[in-house]
Amino acid sequence: MSENHKPYPLVDTTEPNLLEDTFNYSLPPLIRFDGPVVEYIDGRPVEFDPAALKTRDIVITDTTFRDGQQARPPYTVDQMVRIYDLLAKLGGPNGVIRQTEFFLYTANDRKTLDRCRELGHKFPECTGWIQAVKGDFRLVKEAKLKESGMLTSCSDYHIFHKLKFKSRKACMDSYCEVVDAAFEAGVRLRCHLEDVTRADIDGFVLPFVERLMRMSEQVPEELSVKIRMCDTMGFGVSFPGVELPRSIPKLIYKFNREVGVPGDRLEWHGHNDFHKVHANGAAAWLYGCDAVNATLFGFGERTGNPPLEGAIFEYIALKGELCGINTEVITELAEYMRSIGLPIPDNYPFVGKAFNTTRAGIHAGGLRNDERIYNIFDTTELLGRPPRVALTDKSGADGVALWVNDFFGLKGDQRLSKFKMHKVARWVNDQYEKHGRMTAISDEELEQQVKELMPEYWEKYKGG
Amino acid sequence: MDKNEVQQRVVKVICQVLSVDEEMVKPDSHFVFDLGAESTQSVELVAAFEGEFDIDMDEDAALEVQTVGNAVDFITKCLK
Repeated sequence: MSENHKPYPLVDTTEPNLLEDTFNYSLPPLIRFDGPVVEYIDGRPVEFDPAALKTRDIVITDTTFRDGQQARPPYTVDQMVRIYDLLAKLGGPNGVIRQTEFFLYTANDRKTLDRCRELGHKFPECTGWIQAVKGDFRLVKEAKLKESGMLTSCSDYHIFHKLKFKSRKACMDSYCEVVDAAFEAGVRLRCHLEDVTRADIDGFVLPFVERLMRMSEQVPEELSVKIRMCDTMGFGVSFPGVELPRSIPKLIYKFNREVGVPGDRLEWHGHNDFHKVHANGAAAWLYGCDAVNATLFGFGERTGNPPLEGAIFEYIALKGELCGINTEVITELAEYMRSIGLPIPDNYPFVGKAFNTTRAGIHAGGLRNDERIYNIFDTTELLGRPPRVALTDKSGADGVALWVNDFFGLKGDQRLSKFKMHKVARWVNDQYEKHGRMTAISDEELEQQVKELMPEYWEKYKGG
Repeated sequence: MDKNEVQQRVVKVICQVLSVDEEMVKPDSHFVFDLGAESTQSVELVAAFEGEFDIDMDEDAALEVQTVGNAVDFITKCLK
């Protein structure tokens, strides 16, 4: 037995402890910390205070119309205006969804931007996206935008092999020329450090960002450069002890505390190539970066970006309150996206058709007793999506009972016992036992069976 | 209704629903292990008892009944 062994006697009780401080059901489960987070940087321990998340102005920024659109055929102007309107409704008056960025290259891009601004929403603020060439910068001025992102690729893969610069200095000078031009025109730039998790941090990234910070000292605060850390290939890692350039804690620490980029001018932009995208975004918040860049349903280049709706629930879990967010709009957005041809897998969290649908009979039995047993939070209240069951050979009479009662809208003592629907349970059972069925039973099929096999209840609850 | 009559009608229902011969059905016969009632059949059996005796049975309590004799007692109690 290890010397660290500690006895844990059973704490017997006849009353359940449902840990409701964390799992209070009316909100997503809260993320509560019980101490500082420690990371060793350059050989010494550095503390990060997660409690500060409650008071820091952390935000979500959106790139559905930029990175999100790189993963699909272009949206129409009307579609983008509708999505923008819903994003404003979702993020609420406090601007939890603080900004969204637009391409500025085509007439349609600019028309969309104008129509979105005509809606008069304070949030999300519209910003632009350009490459680091002076010619593109004209587009920002013409669009009368206060802020634009600018692609400043920073790994040697990009500097030498894509952009064909002769040296890092030539690259940095070129970027800084455009920054100077932006200052002169009174436009704030957000430098997108493309491929930062595969870059030489000490040799190029920190010298470049330090130079940007020094340049920013010469202009009014509202023009000071922002930094977007772009984990372009999804190489970023959130857990402690990882070395640069892949370490998210170390990257943020270096920017924030060594070269002086304040948290409110730092943004994390991730990609999902290694399934780390959402957790990496949340880690960026934790370690001092105030903005996490996201796209609706994670749609983005290749494997996608942090899913915006996931960031929304993470935000609430960290803050411990809704902060003006209207979560039900997530369901509305998903329905709209489906209606314009965006595929959302059935098992996709929060919005997939089956995200809170249980199939196993024993799970359905649990749901019947207390929906909290197999539902992540009050999805009826927060998403307009009551927990459901899909019937298969594993569903049993409990699954049938849950489905039928939900279908009739019966709650509490009104609910019918499973004995009242034994004929439907038999029909479901025989589908698999006698007929060798291999697929789940659709709602439409069940509805038909309930009508035929439970006519007295159909008449009572659906008739007239 | 006396307990004897309840027992006769319970046995009749069991034989119909589970397709077993009457001589197999004894007071200590276990619905699952002796009479082969699988999950859906157990629900059908209780539903058939409800129909036969025109009663509503508590869901959890009814499914805790495991033998024929217990079923007779349970239904007799319900009828009172």
